Amino acid sequence: MTLRQKLFTVRVFVKLSTKRFFRDRLALFFGILFPLIFLVVFGSINSGGNDISFKVATINQSNSAFSKDLYNQLNNSDTFKVSKDVANYDEAKESLGRGQLDGIIILPAGFGDIKDGKPSGKAEVQYTQNNASAGQTLVTVLDGTFKGINAKYIATQVPLSVEGKALNENSLSSFDYAFAGLLGFSIIGIGIFGPMNVFPELKKQGILRRLHTTPIRVWQYFLSTMLAQAIIGLVSLAVMFAFAIAVFDLHVTGNYLEIALFCVFSIFMILGIGLSIGGWASNERQAAPLGNIVVFPMMFLSGTFFPRFLMPEWLQGISGFLPLTPVIDGIRLLTTEGKHLVDIGAQLGFMAVWMVIIYLIAFRVFRWE
Amino acid sequence: MSSVILEVQNLVKTYSGRNVVDGISFEVKKGEVFGILGPNGAGKTTTLEMIEGMRQIDGGTAIINGIDVHEDVWSVRRIIGVQPQSPAFQDKQRLTEIIEMFAATYGEKVNAKAFLDDVNLGEKANAYPEKLSGGQRQRLSIATALVHKPKVFFLDEPTTGLDPQARRNLWELIKDIQKRGVTVILTTHYMDEAELLCDRIAVMDHGKIIALDTPKNLIKALLKRGFTKAQQVEQANLEDVFIDLTGKALRD
Repeated sequence: MTLRQKLFTVRVFVKLSTKRFFRDRLALFFGILFPLIFLVVFGSINSGGNDISFKVATINQSNSAFSKDLYNQLNNSDTFKVSKDVANYDEAKESLGRGQLDGIIILPAGFGDIKDGKPSGKAEVQYTQNNASAGQTLVTVLDGTFKGINAKYIATQVPLSVEGKALNENSLSSFDYAFAGLLGFSIIGIGIFGPMNVFPELKKQGILRRLHTTPIRVWQYFLSTMLAQAIIGLVSLAVMFAFAIAVFDLHVTGNYLEIALFCVFSIFMILGIGLSIGGWASNERQAAPLGNIVVFPMMFLSGTFFPRFLMPEWLQGISGFLPLTPVIDGIRLLTTEGKHLVDIGAQLGFMAVWMVIIYLIAFRVFRWE
Repeated sequence: MSSVILEVQNLVKTYSGRNVVDGISFEVKKGEVFGILGPNGAGKTTTLEMIEGMRQIDGGTAIINGIDVHEDVWSVRRIIGVQPQSPAFQDKQRLTEIIEMFAATYGEKVNAKAFLDDVNLGEKANAYPEKLSGGQRQRLSIATALVHKPKVFFLDEPTTGLDPQARRNLWELIKDIQKRGVTVILTTHYMDEAELLCDRIAVMDHGKIIALDTPKNLIKALLKRGFTKAQQVEQANLEDVFIDLTGKALRD
């Protein structure tokens, strides 16, 4: 057969398996809807995480007008998330003990009574030893609030003051990290979980065996799987991008073509792992444990669900060598950090090395039955 | 003789020290239907798989159309068609696409509908294989094995599990394929099938060929040895009654 004929085989296989994917509801669910569900869940957790707020219960024991006013202010504040479930002090204390609250703000009897023309009194903040840092911050915040109120009654010149200024240039929100991680998770789904589940089934039914009686070569079969999964993967990732932009205000600063090229390369590389596992295993019982051993460390250490910079340094060092790490880093650099393919040579080089290693293994261990 | 298309000599397959195929030799002539008969575990399927190049040959040679299977399995694959024991196909793929896919493995583009018409599946061209009956699946599998016009066609127990109508239909199909000049090699453990279809039969047991001749000659030889049936054979059997009552028309 000429090379042209061999590539014709690949073209037909790519066309047919892509068609098959889009006809299969279950495959569509796991390939496209499932990552989207993760995006919604993790996106909701991570978006709007910039505002600090405290979960508190407020107890007003005073009858003064000032106290009632302050009580209402606290209840409507953004900084304090006042629990609505707590009706009295005992319930508040129980809630505090369960860790559902950061603290209890008590305005004691007589708080805000007018003395010398000014309201006065001492509020109390209660917190637990286990959550001392949140409790102390709460005291400071409340103290600051009171200072503002005090200033209205006593005109004082303050020699030292501090002013905060927010810098909004190109900073990464926690959602940016989460999004790159979730794309990585989706690529694992397409590249590893897919073939890991499908190949043993094809072997069990003898479908691969039947193919092996034809002149098709392993490289043709691999190449067509790679291309089909890349097409499917691009659709799945594009849906995630569209969703993230529409719902979570993702700001893509990079070039879409570069992002797409990088994603295709990532899918090729990660798919090699799936081809190795699925290609080697003769049944699901062999594929599942091996797949989990390979996938779970990557899922937790490469930054899919939480960013790597949160890990201790020694762990960052180890996880830096996992094949998925440059994928997630590269996606983040290209998508939200305004980098280009030429800037991420380190990631690309690292992925190329992994690609060679992974496919050497994949070709070596592949079995048709 | 140039009309020999398959030549097998001293073929051996060893599993954990036991010869499951134990030095068998036979020849298949171009254009004939050759049957390998034997009880389960006799080594029929293993023999077939070694000749198809699907299993390592542990001893002896198999030469198809002048090509040594062991030396050039890729050339052999281009001239053989294989029908597995229980054909399966991937879901969500139209029958025409399945034909298209198998043709593509040979680097060829074919008229898929014509191949489906050939095996009486033209009406199902746009259906998915998960909607097919057992007999239809067998016929689809035959169509996929013939897309590249093979010289030799291997069928492993093609009618196991089919109803009498579907079996008869498949026999006619196999006869038809023979008429097109394709050499057919099949395994079976149905004697009626072997007698009706096969020009010559090799009977295997315990990894060896214990008899090889035309069905007629094998029966004659047995009678010559003085064999008589314990009971007088009726002119018809229960299957004849069944076919007479239900007709030959396909039910799927």
